[in-house]
Amino acid sequence: MSQTPNPAPSSASTPAPAPAPKPATIKIQVDGREVEADPKQPLIRACHDQGVDVPMYCYHPGLSPVGSCRICQVEVAAGPGQPSRVVAACRTPVSPGMVVQTDTPKAHETRRECLEFLLKNHPLDCPICDKAGECDLQDYSFNEGQGKGRSSEPRRKLEKRKSLGDVIVLDEERCILCSRCVRFFQEVTHKPQLTVSGLGSRSTIATFADKPLSGNYQGNIADICPVGALTLKPFRFQARVWNLSKTLSTCAECSRGCSITVEALRGKEVKRFRPRFNPQVNQHWMCDVGRFAYAPVTQALPPEGGIVGGRLVGAAIRGYHGLERVELESALAEVADLLRAASKPLVLLSPFVTQEEARAALELCAGLGVAPRFVSPAPNNLKDDLLHTGDPCPNRRGLSELGVAAIEPAAALAELAAANAALLVGERIQSLLDVAALAKLPATARLVVLDVAAHDLAALSAAIGVPTHVEKSGQWINVDGHVGVLNVAVPAPAGVAPLERTLRELLEHCRAPAAR
Amino acid sequence: MKEFQRYLLDRIAAANSHTLSVYRQQGGYKAIEKVLKTPLKPEDVITVMKDSGLRGRGGAGFPTGMKWSFMPDVTKDPRPRYLAVNADESEPGTCKDRVLMERDPHGLVEGCLIACYAMRAKAAYIYVRGEYRLSYDRVQAAIDEARAAGLVGKNILGTDFSCDIWMHKGAGAYICGEETGLMESLEGKRGHPRPKPPFPAGSGLWKSPTTVNNVETIFNAPFIVERGAEWFKSMGVPKSTGNFLCGISGHVNKPGVYELPFGLTARQILDEVAGGIWKGRKLKAFFPGGSSTGLMPASAIDVVMDHDSVKAAGSMFGTAAMIFLDETASIPQVMDVTLRFYDHESCGQCSQCREGTQWLHQMFHRIARGKGKREDIDLLVSLANGMAPGKTICALADAAAIPTLAAVKHFRAEFEQCVELGRDPLAPTHAPAPELQGAH
Repeated sequence: MSQTPNPAPSSASTPAPAPAPKPATIKIQVDGREVEADPKQPLIRACHDQGVDVPMYCYHPGLSPVGSCRICQVEVAAGPGQPSRVVAACRTPVSPGMVVQTDTPKAHETRRECLEFLLKNHPLDCPICDKAGECDLQDYSFNEGQGKGRSSEPRRKLEKRKSLGDVIVLDEERCILCSRCVRFFQEVTHKPQLTVSGLGSRSTIATFADKPLSGNYQGNIADICPVGALTLKPFRFQARVWNLSKTLSTCAECSRGCSITVEALRGKEVKRFRPRFNPQVNQHWMCDVGRFAYAPVTQALPPEGGIVGGRLVGAAIRGYHGLERVELESALAEVADLLRAASKPLVLLSPFVTQEEARAALELCAGLGVAPRFVSPAPNNLKDDLLHTGDPCPNRRGLSELGVAAIEPAAALAELAAANAALLVGERIQSLLDVAALAKLPATARLVVLDVAAHDLAALSAAIGVPTHVEKSGQWINVDGHVGVLNVAVPAPAGVAPLERTLRELLEHCRAPAAR
Repeated sequence: MKEFQRYLLDRIAAANSHTLSVYRQQGGYKAIEKVLKTPLKPEDVITVMKDSGLRGRGGAGFPTGMKWSFMPDVTKDPRPRYLAVNADESEPGTCKDRVLMERDPHGLVEGCLIACYAMRAKAAYIYVRGEYRLSYDRVQAAIDEARAAGLVGKNILGTDFSCDIWMHKGAGAYICGEETGLMESLEGKRGHPRPKPPFPAGSGLWKSPTTVNNVETIFNAPFIVERGAEWFKSMGVPKSTGNFLCGISGHVNKPGVYELPFGLTARQILDEVAGGIWKGRKLKAFFPGGSSTGLMPASAIDVVMDHDSVKAAGSMFGTAAMIFLDETASIPQVMDVTLRFYDHESCGQCSQCREGTQWLHQMFHRIARGKGKREDIDLLVSLANGMAPGKTICALADAAAIPTLAAVKHFRAEFEQCVELGRDPLAPTHAPAPELQGAH
């Protein structure tokens, strides 16, 4: 499992958390190299920290070790020249001077034996398994296993698609009973929901009293499942994983800003958000609200070539015959005229704008002589004591640090009703303000909207499409001051320019002499 | 066979031997009185146990006094300490602890008190297999009687030694007889054995120092304390002292539980104790210590029955549950039944054990039904070597692999014959028993 450190240092304006005191380490030898090992961690951690690949199924760095799958066997001696034996690295404490060899014939043979037993009843349905391509059993079988099975016994027949609630499907035949999912609910959410039911080769994973799984963290068990036993309902049969491009990004659904990977089919269509290990923010996990929030970023275009009611591509202004598509340049010129003509236009930012976009917006506002504010909806009821903060503003802290004040949607709507021009900037700003309420504003409000989608608003004077957070790069600052990076995971639709550039061009237009 | 002194089953001949009054008439509770009134220091009791050379009777034969001395120093470790008595006697063939619990439960209670005193344990937990209803009732009644008589509970015999004894009923899983599985089960969890380290003496029941002993081991303690280590060492052989309970089953004339000294040969036990093989037939093979120990051929019948001699002969003394098979027994059938048991009882944690026991069972079943293939026999050996020794959390995988390896080693020709003929010439002529569906 690769461990990506927090990709950017903390912003200069917030004090970086003091580095944790370096734990006392002991010296051991791994594959001939002398290395430092943390005595509180099992041997497998010392190997992985050195980039030595020791296979694992039941072990997961975010869960307690149980030592049941027995695949992580390595050869260990108490010291140089001492007799060695094969042990499970996940349950073996490190001791000073220990000599560890992962690449000996004895270790390989023990792992090969273990794999053969694991594959005895595992269905070879890789061609139709969603996990294929990122399956630990498949990978290690390729590396360590034998080419030919020796079993001629019938494989276990169990339930192939057992629904465990709205999120997860269990394939009992593929399960290798590593119990990671059981321990996840015991140790991470502290609400045990799964158990191993039955004995020996008749064991299966089951929920208590066959109740469906509940809670906001179910999706994680599909990530940590080392085989294709637990799959996400929304991802089933959606993509072969080797066709997914992976881009480092940050979750947008609350101010925690979990580090994620955006996975897009052939670099175009977002199919999956997955958590990315970040020891300072989200460890290995993310919530289901964030995990399944890729639907809004793949919004469909409006029907029949219209402008409103879907993804806004390009720019539109209100002419004599209603909204008309125009070139971005002319739209910006129109908007600049409108803003200059207005006395003190109201500028509202979305809490989704990045630091870079917010700085551009601040420069624009300085040119207009106004102060922007960001829309700050009330906390939602998703707050828990694990990750979700309940605050729907991913860049609240960053905007506050730039000196942008918050305004509640209701107060913003009241000011909008009285305004003679308003600039609404950023992804989801209309929905955060409430689209229905915006639709009731009088035409005199003269809204200029820079959002992902366009809605049929009477007060809409101009609308310019912007990229979603998976289509742009930039930085957000999370609730604790950690920087989350955004990278371009999928290209923005043709005609949608980066918001930062749009804002800077708008500033240029505002500075230029009036067109008429 | 020369005469020998008996003590383990001395008292059970008396009527109502399970009651406190009869136990007292026969000299019961004298040992704990000696310990508390002399008074002996806990270390002294452990020293006596060490000197006696008593080895655990639960199968592994580990020296009991040494096991007791592994408990951490009480001055440095303030955690409560526990004794767990393993009465989950479930090894196929083993039926000795049942006799002690049903007929002489106060002996076990007194043994618990002595062990708890020696290890400074605050309580003993007796984990009885659920099927042993009479054992459970008798031991519980004995504890109640002893408690009423001031022998269990607070300030035993007026001294400041306090100790409680609690009973716990198992729910029928073989794996709960494994010491760490037993502790998990006692704590109310699934009986999944724990990886070692930590060992029970360091972190056992409720993460406190714990010693797990077999019923018969504990039962020996009052005799050793009362009569001394020298007396105990006068019985048996130098490295396996005292008497043991031998549970004899299979194709013999007089099956049963017998008290025997270490050092007899298996032939003496078969001929002079068990009355020889039944129906005038010949011996074919025998398990020396329960189904987990390697099957031995008839040619090994002169092996001396003590821990080290049986080990040197390639098997294990185990729990001394000797199962004799006559010449009509089919080894493939025997192994089919044996592996069905281990397949059924594997807890399912470790890959090798969960899948391996099932795989071995399927193969033995096939061979015994005449559907074996030539390469199956070598595959059996290869699989068994992949499961053991010491490749899994507990020894259940070993318990399935050891008899497999021994059976193929000694009776390969018989397996080959089944494969060649496409049927088992020794298969029973009556219809096979139906498979138990849905049994626990």
